[in-house]
Amino acid sequence: MVNEPLPSVRDSPDYRFNPTTIGKNTNSLFVCLTFSGGGTRAAALAYGVLEKLRNTRIVWKGVEKSLLDEVDCISSISGGSFTAAYYGLFGERIFQEFRDRFLVVDVEGALVRRAANPVNWIRLASPRFSRIDLAAEYYDEAIFERKSFHALAAGRGRPFVILNATNLANGERFEFTQDQFDVLVSDLGPYPVARAVAASSAFPFLLSPISLKNYPHPESFTLPPDYLGGLKDYETNRRRYYWARNRAVYVNDKELPYLHLMDGGLADNIGLRPIEAAYQRTGGFIRKLINDGEIEKLVLIVVNAGTESEDTISKKESPPGLKVVAVKTATIAMENYSVETVEVLKELRDARVRAQRNIAACQGRLAACPGAPPIPGLAVDIEPYVIEINFEAIPDAERRRRFLRLPTSFVLSVEQVESVIRIGPELLDAQPEWRALLESLANP
Amino acid sequence: MGRRRLTQMEYLVVRFPRSRRVRIDGEFNGRTGEAIEVEAGSHVVSLGPPSNFKPAEREIVLKDTSELAPLEISFELDI
Repeated sequence: MVNEPLPSVRDSPDYRFNPTTIGKNTNSLFVCLTFSGGGTRAAALAYGVLEKLRNTRIVWKGVEKSLLDEVDCISSISGGSFTAAYYGLFGERIFQEFRDRFLVVDVEGALVRRAANPVNWIRLASPRFSRIDLAAEYYDEAIFERKSFHALAAGRGRPFVILNATNLANGERFEFTQDQFDVLVSDLGPYPVARAVAASSAFPFLLSPISLKNYPHPESFTLPPDYLGGLKDYETNRRRYYWARNRAVYVNDKELPYLHLMDGGLADNIGLRPIEAAYQRTGGFIRKLINDGEIEKLVLIVVNAGTESEDTISKKESPPGLKVVAVKTATIAMENYSVETVEVLKELRDARVRAQRNIAACQGRLAACPGAPPIPGLAVDIEPYVIEINFEAIPDAERRRRFLRLPTSFVLSVEQVESVIRIGPELLDAQPEWRALLESLANP
Repeated sequence: MGRRRLTQMEYLVVRFPRSRRVRIDGEFNGRTGEAIEVEAGSHVVSLGPPSNFKPAEREIVLKDTSELAPLEISFELDI
């Protein structure tokens, strides 16, 4: 299925972050989750964290609620995208349905059976239909009830779910949001959520890419000002320059009429880059809320289901064969970026806290100087929290090894699924910043 | 001040005789008179409505600022 062009007139909301909150959610307590890749293992860990947040009762601004009620955004990769998309579409139904609908299902077996069905052989022989289309169809029917992004746009609005894939041509992150689709002159609304999840989880070699059309750009098309500014920043801010360039590239629809997407983990296996962009860019939804003084507590919970395969390559004198080399080259980048992106967010957090303290300290001193003009202050002092959970933090060595050796696949035993669901809350409780957050919420 | 980090944000103060929302790259970000945290690089700064200010916008390059030494720019009331 090809994505559709932008309509000339829009008669329904499009899929973008909406700063207006509904129900018990507030902007003042702003909570973002990231769900890493890792097949069913990642989906189960993310699910366990959602359960934990649902079970964590808080009182914020005089209203009693669960911390899950305050989740504002979820950025996800691959296996984590199944959980993110399901919760985004169906809300609390996830706690009654998701285990049986996905977590304990042999999804790999279901896909193999579909591919083995003679009815599909003819379809798979076509250059326009491949294994990933079969997978997307299965997800559409069996998991996501044929919902499109129209359903996400028309829904609760929070959390804003960002499903991430990777553009195979340039290795850059591609997110399923209308902001990203605007540059393709395409309407995300009618696009099936299942296909976005399939793209996010299209593991190299096992599945084929999902293809999108980059429509001709009208004469009147202009890039957002933040992109135009970024394109001038090669010397001043290289990160912003490459972010802008990698988004603006799609304007060249004659050279790039199509794009082919694969597993989001190829660009970023943690799902933090959209949050980093939302924090740093002037058009970023977190940045605007901070500068407008709306966020008081900013909470980022990184759910990292990364594992560590046993190094058998280094034990042998002869080099590995083609298959091993192929898998390793496809997955090495997934592992390498993870640590860096968490550290970037922690640096940003520390810098903000330092700036707030410096301003407060100087204002305090100036208050004692008669006639001295005050220093301009920030709109609001925020309390930022960056909380990461991962299997490496399990204290018992044998237990840690068991979790780190869990396979990356879309089939796990019921026992394995339940153990991963249970470890998420345990890892969260062990995190000092999580405990500090709860303490702060309990004692405003 | 220490080594500048890749992730360092910059600081901008926009002066105007009235309290007004500030627009940076077309997006509302903060108010006049406040220290506004912005990413390093090229930005277009303007004010929110009403349009009784001049110039209509200012192009700036934000770098080497800090929370205690922000870049300060001004708009005038256009009566």
